[in-house]
Amino acid sequence: MNTETGSHLIGKEIATYSTRVDASKIREMALAIGDPSPLHLDPDAAKKEGYPDIIAGPTFGVCLKLWGGFDFHGICKVLQINPFKVLHGQQEYEYFGEIIPGDTISITTSVENIVEKAGKKENMKIITLADEFVNQKGEKVLIGKSTIIERMSSNP
Amino acid sequence: MTLCYEDIEVGTPIPTLVKPPIKREQLVKYAGASGDFNPLHYDDEFAEKAGLGVIAQGMLIMGFVAQAICNWIPQKNLRYFKARFVGMTRPNDSITVSGNVVRKTDKENGGVITCEIAAKDQNSEVKISGLFEAVLPKRGGRK
Repeated sequence: MNTETGSHLIGKEIATYSTRVDASKIREMALAIGDPSPLHLDPDAAKKEGYPDIIAGPTFGVCLKLWGGFDFHGICKVLQINPFKVLHGQQEYEYFGEIIPGDTISITTSVENIVEKAGKKENMKIITLADEFVNQKGEKVLIGKSTIIERMSSNP
Repeated sequence: MTLCYEDIEVGTPIPTLVKPPIKREQLVKYAGASGDFNPLHYDDEFAEKAGLGVIAQGMLIMGFVAQAICNWIPQKNLRYFKARFVGMTRPNDSITVSGNVVRKTDKENGGVITCEIAAKDQNSEVKISGLFEAVLPKRGGRK
């Protein structure tokens, strides 16, 4: 009803995209975090632990999403939010299976809710996005829920 | 040795993870790795204009917390993980991750543990307030 608040987006799918998982990307994420676990780096070590290959870490969903086609500026544009005013408020993940090299992950992002709230210093728009991650076998491997905050005081 | 449901009590601490100070280089590396190119994480001019100064990606700190979790329990046992980004992390901050078990829920083929976990800086200021759930096997019964 109100395009300015984006409330017409509530309940809508705003993006569907898919991306292939590379071993090098799994390694890059682990190295950027500084996580030396061989499960993200060494296929033999991962197999010894009962995994089919190296596995993506628990926060790899962000990489699938942002590199998969829904990047920061894209998000700001679709949600009509000011890039200067965006903060990540909360992130949740539910895990159903491993993500390994060679997987093709299809992602559906929808807007769960948008509310405006008066904060201590400034008003905020709080946007909740839900992401569903499904692999090439049709298995749901991950659900993500992101809370994005747009600080709504005067523009810079 | 496999960590079993019986080994855990409410209050059992999660082994603490101490991370080295965050350098700008790490923020840039993480931007490239994750695809989070919000200039707030590497561009001083943009970050000043945003009124915040350069801050670390919340997801990088969540990655630290995930590292602490999976140092303790196998990743395949992790079912749920939530991070609330309650404080901003700056370059040169040193993050420590710690937490403990707050609930045990008995299930037929194992048990679910619920844990609170937090990332704090060198001044004990909380950056992430988190929660996770994991399934652990029971001794004797194989999962």
